[in-house]
Amino acid sequence: MSAVRHWVGGFIIVAGTATVAPRVMAQQEGATPDSVPLAARVDELEQQILVLKRLRELEADSIAAAAKDKSTVTASGKDGFSIKSADGKYVLKLRGYAQADGRFFGGDDSKAVPNTLFLRRARPILEATVGKYFGFRIMPDFAQGQTVLFDAYGDVNLTPAFAVRLGKFKPPVGLERLQSATDVVFAERGLPTNLVPNRDIGFQLGGDIHGGVLSYAVGVFNGVPDLGNGDGDLNDSKDLDARVFLQPITKGSLKGLGIGIAGTTGTEQGGLSGTTLSSGLPAYRSPGQQTVFRYRTDVAVPLNSVLANGRRSRLVPQGYFYSGPFGIQSEYAVSRQEVRLGPSAAELTHTAWQASGSFFLTGEKAGFRSPTPKKVFDPSQKGFGALELVARYGELDVDDDAFPTFASPTSAITKEKSAGVGLNWYLNKQIKVAVNYEHTAFDGGAADGDRKAEDFFVTRFQHSF
Amino acid sequence: MLLALSIGAAPAVAQGGGKPVTLLNVSYDPTRELYQDFNQQFARYWKEKTGQDVTVRQSHGGSGKQARAVIDGLGADVVTLALAYDIDQIAEKGELLPANWQSRLPDNSSPYTSTIVLLTRKGNPKGIKDWGDLGKPGVSVITPNPKTSGGARWNFLAAWAWALRQSGGNEQTAKEFVTRLYRNVPVLDAGARGSTTTFVERGIGDVLIAWENEALLAMKELGPGKFEIVAPSISILAEPPVAVVDRVAGKHGTKAVAQAYLEYLYTDAGQEIAAKHFYRPRNAAIAAKYRAQFPELNLVTVNDVFGGWAKAQAQFFADGAVFDQIYQPGR
Repeated sequence: MSAVRHWVGGFIIVAGTATVAPRVMAQQEGATPDSVPLAARVDELEQQILVLKRLRELEADSIAAAAKDKSTVTASGKDGFSIKSADGKYVLKLRGYAQADGRFFGGDDSKAVPNTLFLRRARPILEATVGKYFGFRIMPDFAQGQTVLFDAYGDVNLTPAFAVRLGKFKPPVGLERLQSATDVVFAERGLPTNLVPNRDIGFQLGGDIHGGVLSYAVGVFNGVPDLGNGDGDLNDSKDLDARVFLQPITKGSLKGLGIGIAGTTGTEQGGLSGTTLSSGLPAYRSPGQQTVFRYRTDVAVPLNSVLANGRRSRLVPQGYFYSGPFGIQSEYAVSRQEVRLGPSAAELTHTAWQASGSFFLTGEKAGFRSPTPKKVFDPSQKGFGALELVARYGELDVDDDAFPTFASPTSAITKEKSAGVGLNWYLNKQIKVAVNYEHTAFDGGAADGDRKAEDFFVTRFQHSF
Repeated sequence: MLLALSIGAAPAVAQGGGKPVTLLNVSYDPTRELYQDFNQQFARYWKEKTGQDVTVRQSHGGSGKQARAVIDGLGADVVTLALAYDIDQIAEKGELLPANWQSRLPDNSSPYTSTIVLLTRKGNPKGIKDWGDLGKPGVSVITPNPKTSGGARWNFLAAWAWALRQSGGNEQTAKEFVTRLYRNVPVLDAGARGSTTTFVERGIGDVLIAWENEALLAMKELGPGKFEIVAPSISILAEPPVAVVDRVAGKHGTKAVAQAYLEYLYTDAGQEIAAKHFYRPRNAAIAAKYRAQFPELNLVTVNDVFGGWAKAQAQFFADGAVFDQIYQPGR
């Protein structure tokens, strides 16, 4: 199409210059200027001017039409870099984010955990829209000296209410897990996230009904342990994951209310894969990302380790409420797993919950996604970005029946309680600086009783585009 | 009879209303006013018959360009173009409708006809009487580009047919004549409406080779009293065709209403609207009613003189064909 327009534009110019000139010459052949009446010569010149003006007009039209048909390349803070076809049906986006942390542990007299500066996440994102219905996303992570594929999936978006997703992605379970790592209000997600899957491979049907009043998703996945990021399955059985989320009030002061429930069910069997033990069981972390609970493992004799041994199920009620600058978010997670160690077997039930609150000192609207600052950071324009105060409390409770058979009471905690506060500074849509402090107390987990409390102080610089 | 039955049956398909529907009619340059009127009339008719609201969006441009756009993905539910070859291209290259599309509606799917006439300025200062005058030195001729405009292709073929019919006329003399004619063209617009703008509004040229409907529109509405129509001794019967673009309409779920839309062009109401906009109606009674506004012309057809559009396209307008040979810049 654009080639035709270019051709037309060029043709018009060449044609015009090629035809006006011969006409003048034809008029002049056999006629001296003096023999042509003055009025006729004026008319002739006037025609030439009109023709040249029209040619310029057509050239401008042709250029404008060609520009309209051209693919566009854009770079914007919100959507990263993108290349879009003229009809908008094909879009390739390059986005990404990086998070650089400073992590400090107070009261750690034994220096068991080093204070450190490190790259928490470094994730380029390639997204594409392919025609009207199709799209894909690929997101690896290159942080912490390793490469891990987090997202690699394709979408078939038939209607807003019915879409299919296939590949590796976040299963529809944990509320905070479903929130982007760039949007969570604390540097690290809270304790319930320990009990839900991180990434899994499968396919999912989902969509928004009535503009998002009801969102649903149901999918079949390989199945991964709590907090797991899986690339395969340990057995033939598959997990069924599902979530419904309601935002029932579309007007008024309760418009920002959302409640939902998610669950999973499946069967997991741990065992040896070659010489490698795959227990099919999780380990749980503290807010400072220290492993505080793990099942018994025998490195010398792998089969003397605790293994997943049957039904695994989860139930996760969840909700949030946003009103003006205020926001609260909460979820409760129950994770059940049948385990065995030699002849001993049990069904263990672990629970966790948390509630977090946020408040924008600078008046921005709180929400599930990061805010757009009212004034981006620009001192010359008296703009300093958005400031957000955050606080949370959460608990994680490991089934008492796990001890002492399946987990060692001297190295695995049975309970953790965590309280934290923080300040987020959004300089603009792309850059965020965060400071968090979180105190976590533990029951059990040490030879002399309780694991020493964790005082975790983290600073984060985040750049996303 | 079949047409009447199908028009009667179409509403039954959508009886009871249903959600509003939108059609896109991709058409050629000078049909803007025709379809603005027709769309309103059809929307009223369809609402009365079915209870369903229909909105028809219009897209206009050079017929060849419009066909290319549809092939490239412009979502036309129906096309109403200047010549059958352009819809053949949509069928062949876009595979958006069957090759036999022209047999699906009466009169080769052309609900109205037109022809090509000459429009001069008031008083006809250059004394233009027929095609031959357009090749004379000092006559400035306005016509669009046959590469992009369906109307321009009709213009070219009409001029060629005239040259062939002259005493001693043959392919060579016809080629020499159109070469002289196109040397007198200072501006090649992309479409017929663009050429009308060049001639009528920009005041360029001594004569406009125009669709009859476009010339009558210019005479009566764009510049009353400023122009004269010269009926050439010979011209060409132009049959602008219409068709449902099956694959697009099927995808949009608009096939029934798109079919009814085109069939409505053949009804008395549709034929009246066509005639009011200076297109020659197919319906004999309505044609008789409007006979006075159309000059008597000796018309030839593309099939008779050129062996059909496929042959004409290959001989004259394909890359490297006659038009490219005669319109070399600088000659």
